[in-house]
Amino acid sequence: MAFIERTLTEAGKPVRKARKPSLWSQAFRRLLKNKLAVSGLVVVVFMFVICFLGPVFSPYADNKINMAAMNRAPSLQHWLGTDRLGRDVLTRVLQAGRISLTVGLASMVLSVFLGTFLGAVAGYYRGIVDQVIMRIADLLLTIPGLPLLFIFGALLSDWKVPTDYRMYIVMLMLSLVNWPGLARMVRGQMLSLREREFMQAAVVLGLRDRRKLIHHLIPNLVPLIIVMATLNIGGAILSESVLSFFGLGVMPPTPTWGNMIDAANNMIDFQQHPWLWIPPGVSIFATVIAINIFGDGLRDVLDPKMKR
Amino acid sequence: MKKNGITVLTALILISSLVLSACGNGNTNGAAQNGGEKTAPTESNQPAVENAGNAPADAGGLITASDLSKLPNVAKERTDTIIVGLTDPSGAFTPYFHQSGYDGNVSSLLYTPLVTVDDKGLPIAGLAESWEISEDQLTYTFHLRKDLKFSDGSPLTADDVAFTWTLLHDKAYDGDGQLPTLQIEGGEAYKEGKADSISGITVVDPLTITAKLKKPNATALVILGGDILSKAYYGKDYKFGQLDYIKKLHEKPVGNGPYVLEKFIPGQEVRYVANENYYVGKPKTEHFIYKTSEGDVWQYLETGEVDYASFSATTENIDKLKSMGFVNILPYTPSTYGYLQLNLEHDQLKEKEVRQALTYGLDRQSIYVDANQGAGQVANVPSSPISWAYTEEGINAYEYDPKKANQLLDEAGWAKGSDGIREKDGKKLSIHFLGSKNAQTDIFIAVAKENFDAIGVDFQPEIFADFNALVSKVEGGDYDIASFSTPMLTDPSDGVLQFVDGEIKGYDNPKVKELYEKALSSSDIEQRKAVYKELFQLLNDELPVIFTSYKKTVYAYNGRIQNLSVSPFNGLSSSLPNWTLE
Amino acid sequence: MSTYISKRLIYMAVILLAASLLIFCLYALTPGDFISGNIKLTPERKAELREIYGLNKPVLERYALWMKNAFQGDFGYSLAQQKPVLSLFNDYIWNSFLLAAASTFLTWFIAVIVGVVSAYKQYSWFDTLVLVIVFAAMSLPSFFIGLFLIKIVAVDLKWLPPGGMITTGSNATGWAYVKEVIHHMTLPVIVMTILGVGSLTRYFRTNMIDVIKQDYIRTARAKGLKESKVLFSHALRNALLPAITLVGFELPALFGGSLIIEKIFNWPGIGQLYMSSFSLRDYPLLMGFTMLIAILTVIGTLISDLLYHIADPRVRLH
Repeated sequence: MAFIERTLTEAGKPVRKARKPSLWSQAFRRLLKNKLAVSGLVVVVFMFVICFLGPVFSPYADNKINMAAMNRAPSLQHWLGTDRLGRDVLTRVLQAGRISLTVGLASMVLSVFLGTFLGAVAGYYRGIVDQVIMRIADLLLTIPGLPLLFIFGALLSDWKVPTDYRMYIVMLMLSLVNWPGLARMVRGQMLSLREREFMQAAVVLGLRDRRKLIHHLIPNLVPLIIVMATLNIGGAILSESVLSFFGLGVMPPTPTWGNMIDAANNMIDFQQHPWLWIPPGVSIFATVIAINIFGDGLRDVLDPKMKR
Repeated sequence: MKKNGITVLTALILISSLVLSACGNGNTNGAAQNGGEKTAPTESNQPAVENAGNAPADAGGLITASDLSKLPNVAKERTDTIIVGLTDPSGAFTPYFHQSGYDGNVSSLLYTPLVTVDDKGLPIAGLAESWEISEDQLTYTFHLRKDLKFSDGSPLTADDVAFTWTLLHDKAYDGDGQLPTLQIEGGEAYKEGKADSISGITVVDPLTITAKLKKPNATALVILGGDILSKAYYGKDYKFGQLDYIKKLHEKPVGNGPYVLEKFIPGQEVRYVANENYYVGKPKTEHFIYKTSEGDVWQYLETGEVDYASFSATTENIDKLKSMGFVNILPYTPSTYGYLQLNLEHDQLKEKEVRQALTYGLDRQSIYVDANQGAGQVANVPSSPISWAYTEEGINAYEYDPKKANQLLDEAGWAKGSDGIREKDGKKLSIHFLGSKNAQTDIFIAVAKENFDAIGVDFQPEIFADFNALVSKVEGGDYDIASFSTPMLTDPSDGVLQFVDGEIKGYDNPKVKELYEKALSSSDIEQRKAVYKELFQLLNDELPVIFTSYKKTVYAYNGRIQNLSVSPFNGLSSSLPNWTLE
Repeated sequence: MSTYISKRLIYMAVILLAASLLIFCLYALTPGDFISGNIKLTPERKAELREIYGLNKPVLERYALWMKNAFQGDFGYSLAQQKPVLSLFNDYIWNSFLLAAASTFLTWFIAVIVGVVSAYKQYSWFDTLVLVIVFAAMSLPSFFIGLFLIKIVAVDLKWLPPGGMITTGSNATGWAYVKEVIHHMTLPVIVMTILGVGSLTRYFRTNMIDVIKQDYIRTARAKGLKESKVLFSHALRNALLPAITLVGFELPALFGGSLIIEKIFNWPGIGQLYMSSFSLRDYPLLMGFTMLIAILTVIGTLISDLLYHIADPRVRLH
């Protein structure tokens, strides 16, 4: 539940301030009526609960290597088999979920927030603000990500940042350079919304900027933002394994879904040890699809055009 | 949509991770990409360390194909062509000038050296029929075979040899050929532009040439006896200090080896055709192709698209190869060793006892042998087990023994503190490990963390995305342990060099230097063997680095190919001319 | 319009100049250099080689030199491949372009149709099925989709080759060559399409759902127009509008190569070349390629801004 509230407050912060609470409770009631969306929410909550509580009940929670039991197929002892160091795959998948879920959501929220904010500002104010923001975006789009990550890696290593924290700092740094794509889309939408009839009416009525932006424009952006955000969640979860690769993410032996899948990326493991990659793959799949279904429902509920 | 920030970056990095991990798996040291050495073709990067199992692989001889009828049609239809995978040849096929080991593989079929080495690393005749070394080990005289020809039909004489040796002393020469390090008399002066030719090189007659060194060096014979470039072709436009013109000739090599370059298709194929003018006669198979194939090569071998591939010798790989039925399987140990470089400038690692304790306390058998399903062997000396100098006599095996490790650390004055971590003079015994990202490193970290925990050593691992980044961090000196593997070692001295040339910073043992020089100053194998034994015993006790493992691989090849053998030092090039398709 | 374009062109030049400096510095700051990875070299030889390549000079001096040569059309020689950077691009980029162009076309084509249908039949079984497939493809690294198809289609069924661009050793020319290439590119194009089509489909579906609810669609229906005409001529046109901004962004992707796919399928493309050059720190090649992509990116954004204006004239240029 915790993360859902966070998503709402992040993506819809301005909305909440301005609208009367009754609208929110209305939206919430409508959401509850959407069975598909609710089931998506249930699955997400379930994933969180099982990942955070599940390992507590596992006899293999210490994540110890056991050379005598390597690469075992699923059995009663090890429900999802063991990996090449004889560690229990089920326990590791659950432990991995803790990090992958948190990191995936956090990085998604951060990027979406930044992109939306800058894009909306640029599209709304236009002129010099737009020019500055969009030209910076252009510049950032030309920068290759690869050397950037290597440099981050070297810097964090030289600064002796503990390996456990590096991932979060890097996520922050990455969203600082990764907003241009989303910002451009939001800006485009904003430019077109500005010219719609209802906005001309708002101008004629002499509404203030803030009111126009918060009451009339941002709500129209919500569907786009939700779709972008939910679509990105899978990539964001997998991106953690990418960061580990650069020495910027989670250190082994700590498992994450991304690095568990990556460890099996060769023909032999792919064919002969499917229990190594199917569990983390299915976990990501379930999470991604649940969040998307929920996001769809949320969009329907929040979309001003869909109200009546 | 896919242009959205996170997705793009994610994709980009994911991809790179795949590419890089592939590079990393095969060679911890990345030498295959950057080293000018001749790497064995197509180290299959993937399967190497990713599999595990129980029984160690059978290290015996050749396993022949059980059922050739399973051979895919694609492979059956080839009658005069053999295809071998090679990671990434780039087109710079001139010996001494290529920057990638894969180009070295390509040129090794285009050129035959004056002196080559046998499977033990001992020199045997190539284009040179014979040679003499003077009493003082300084003057080398090579006698060329009669009627040698380049692939364009022009004659190969001592002038070409002199030209090649001279060219490598040019100040603009940017390759990693070892020849200029031999200190040929007058070489320095030529390089500085003070002389028009190198005084130590003398062309006696068209078939005889001598080189005079300033200092004896047992590796000189093989280094001087390298590949020969045609003076008429490569020397036509040569001006001192100007070597750019050679770049234009890289893709049109004129060689003297078993094969001639027919066509290079960038990123796809290197096509060869047999050399009519080859000195021992035209090779038996008319066409040979190096197919660029990065990453997993299983699918190409299984579908018959390549005839030959190498895999890590894990039980699972071997079982799968056996079940394919149409491949012969040849076990093989590369001529390298893996080691953990220790930062001897850090106080805690200065004591020999601590280094020994860490070695006792590290379960190398689990990390390098068991977790790799037997595709490895624990190393204890700086030499590959296939070298003529290898010995286990008087060598401490440092078998995993946490008790002994604890005892040694106690004796060295490192006492366990309240948190279970050892301390001495208020300093904690903490080990900062650097590795490049690959599956083997993941295994190492997982096991080492538990191992070091058990002996009260704090373990702080750090991972770098590629070899270059790792090396630059190590050069900065901010580490305790870093994982490496040597490039291919031809002469036993290659494996010991790092202990005498200052590469292992903080290690300076006059005895080691003395033995190193002593072993190099003689060309008598038995004499050298005895010196290396003493040297290995000394290094095995002193442990300036922790020796880790030898890799074990298998070559799998189409059962129709006859007379195939793989030299640890020359790869395919020595036996390829004799390969036939049954 | 023309003043707008000329203004943008000036901005573009400034951005590219700033980008080139930034990119050059980034590569220079990346730990390790072309020499450090070669463990066969002694420290003295390393210093000597750095001198030869000019790697010991200050970054700004190296940048100035690079820039000067670049303005004269000389992008230098690749250090690792020993060939002019531009001729390497010519060797590899077109192969990448071939894959990208085919899969981009397919991706858009499929995404539009599937997106429209699933929007029209929102929450139907078709819509749900598409949803599941799309997210399944997004949950596994593309590596696995590639491996899976290679295993099934190439190794087991032997329908298509497992990789490469031509049959090894083939001397086919003309039509036979074209057929061979098509045969080899089928699998990679399929995988690229699967990977790309998901998010685009969702995007069109969302837009379409928005549009269908608009008044003018209701009007069109009320007028008694055929449903297919309403959908494909009225609704689709408007749903495509926002997507037009994406067209410009495809430009760098068309030439940038797809690293994973090229690697899995052994496709001789620029993506692989870039990656191997990066791990070697082959500066001239990295710099040339990144600048090429930067130029295409900047042009692409300009194109999408212009297209946006053309598609929706209410959006003013300024």
